[in-house]
Amino acid sequence: MSRARDTAADSDGDAPLISVNDLEVHFETEQGLLEMFDDPDVVRAVDGVSVDIGENDVLALVGESGCGKTTLGKTIIGLQEPTGGSIAYRGRDIWETKAGNTDLSFDDIRSSLQIIHQDPGSSLNPNRRIVETLSEPIRLTHPDISAGERRSRIYSLLERVGMTPPRDFASRYPHQLSGGEKQRVALARALLMNPDVILADEAISALDVSLRVEMMDLMLDLQEEFDTSFVFISHDLSNARYFAAHGNGRIGVMYLGNLVEVGPPDRLISDPKHPYTEVLRWATPNLALDASEAGDPPMRKIDIPDPVNPPSGCRFHTRCPEARTACTREQPELRTLEDGHRAACFRSESDHRYWESDPIED
Amino acid sequence: MTTTSERLHRAGDGVSDPIVEVRNASVTYDDGDTHVLDDVTFSIERNEILGVVGESGSGKSMLASALLDAVPAPGHLSGEVLYHPDRDATVDILEFSDAELNEYRWAEVSMVFQGAMSSFNPTMKVGAHFSDTLKAHDRAVSEGLEFAREILSDLYLEPERVLDSYPHELSGGMQQRALIALSLILEPEVLVMDEPTAALDLLMQRSILLLLEEIKEKYDVTMVFITHDLPLVASLADRMAVMYAFELVEAGPRDQIIGDSAHPYTRALLNSTPNIDAPLEDMQPIPGKSPAPVNVPTGCSYADRCPLASDTCRRQDPTFEAVREGHAVACHHWERASEEIKLTFGEAAATGGDAGGDPR
Repeated sequence: MSRARDTAADSDGDAPLISVNDLEVHFETEQGLLEMFDDPDVVRAVDGVSVDIGENDVLALVGESGCGKTTLGKTIIGLQEPTGGSIAYRGRDIWETKAGNTDLSFDDIRSSLQIIHQDPGSSLNPNRRIVETLSEPIRLTHPDISAGERRSRIYSLLERVGMTPPRDFASRYPHQLSGGEKQRVALARALLMNPDVILADEAISALDVSLRVEMMDLMLDLQEEFDTSFVFISHDLSNARYFAAHGNGRIGVMYLGNLVEVGPPDRLISDPKHPYTEVLRWATPNLALDASEAGDPPMRKIDIPDPVNPPSGCRFHTRCPEARTACTREQPELRTLEDGHRAACFRSESDHRYWESDPIED
Repeated sequence: MTTTSERLHRAGDGVSDPIVEVRNASVTYDDGDTHVLDDVTFSIERNEILGVVGESGSGKSMLASALLDAVPAPGHLSGEVLYHPDRDATVDILEFSDAELNEYRWAEVSMVFQGAMSSFNPTMKVGAHFSDTLKAHDRAVSEGLEFAREILSDLYLEPERVLDSYPHELSGGMQQRALIALSLILEPEVLVMDEPTAALDLLMQRSILLLLEEIKEKYDVTMVFITHDLPLVASLADRMAVMYAFELVEAGPRDQIIGDSAHPYTRALLNSTPNIDAPLEDMQPIPGKSPAPVNVPTGCSYADRCPLASDTCRRQDPTFEAVREGHAVACHHWERASEEIKLTFGEAAATGGDAGGDPR
């Protein structure tokens, strides 16, 4: 489905829900007094990323800590201003809209793009009952709704996210809820706005393993029911696979600010085209007994390089077991291989000069 | 003193040369009203890696604290924790004086906690943590630091750079590895790790696990790896123990716990885990939730969530039964478990796996 959407959006001008084009988010590190005349260090959190998100779509972003997946996610929902490239909501640039240059209001865009944070404990105000936390967004956006209607809306939503009896849960404080229940409240709060996209930033990582499937199932049910798209951020490839496969979406693999492979979950996992995706696959625990003994990692170094000075050429070349000298000079582009499957690696081009260059020795 | 024959006879848990034995350990709060560890008995074999698996609030961290007699006040630890420095010597650490306990902790049994950030003092360089530890235990600092450099490079860190850094200057994965090196500085016999990789991304977790295996081989250290993440520890452990609601419910060799587990909870836990090769439609959440420490039900504490539960289960707490040599389970109906709760990933592995799965 998502494949069809990608191409359809390009050809007939029907703008996708979210369109990210050559996006760059660079951060300057803070400068002390002594360094004030030096050029600041620039962290290239996101660099040259292009991706579309359709209606009722799922994009699962995976990668290790510091690869820029959260920054990309926050930029997609308009919480982070890009330093280059563009991000458009239904064809209107989000940051142009904020400046008042389009026919949409920024408030509408903001409420259509919601977030669920990683740590459910710190995303809820500990001094407020659940019902108060959930009333606030309705009061702000629909001041004319009566208190009674507000409550009934909250109760039905709590019931929908599996918190029954809703009256009982609504009157509790966050510390009286378990981690899974807090995350359900966070999900209910995001859904109150009837959003088009929810960014779930490691939303299940803090939960027990046995609760993760349940929470993902709940989000997927709501995806169908409310027609919501998800940007699902995870460092765990098996969770990303579960969520993206059930949501009819794609997995996007990030490495040091670049999107290095995007594709449907089955194809990306069974036939990865980027060596880094192989690394992530190796890192994913497997319960099948013959596979559970991990061999050596398919990479040359354990630690991710400093994002302030990312390696030249292909950023993965310092760890890549397949790297050759060509990889140090030129950065591969994200190329379409088959329908919907894209990868940024010279190895997918049979006539690239990569094949003639020398392997890198450590 | 316990003789070896006594141990062998009683154990039935496949442990012939235990380094630590825990017997009937309970941790209670509120004058015995609240059990956060309920009558746990198990042994740790010398030079093995034991994986202890349990969900949040199952009492697994209490178990770790009990191994060092470090239960936070006002909790009360009862039972026995026996330490065998070698095959024929036995000491009960609950009888230790403060001085003996100080020597035992870190030098004999050492602990790595979750979240390296909060284990290091942010105002001290990493190297100072090493030298302070050596001084506190009356060891020669320069020799100790030499050893520290060796362990650090075993963990793929640059020793000089790490020792000369403040904790915040290192990435999370580097901090956690530096913490593991710090825990090994006094060459302990046993390393207890409580969620040592929980705050890290999968790639770093997996890399650390691989390094731990190398460390274990090189320094002959026994490891206890405590986590909620069953698939993670399954790749590392020799034997596994499963905790539920403050009790131990199953223990045995890794391959049997993963491939032929006897407790319905273990099987449900395995089936609820997203697995990269399992068919997608077969992953099932466990209904219900685990009991709180104050009102643990009489009888089996898993009965309310268990598809096999009968009246017996609700009346009578199951005792440990041997499934086979070295594999024990606390369940009245374990013989029916493999028939009635099928493991989903096993079949997938047998048929080569369908990595795709159908959309719902």
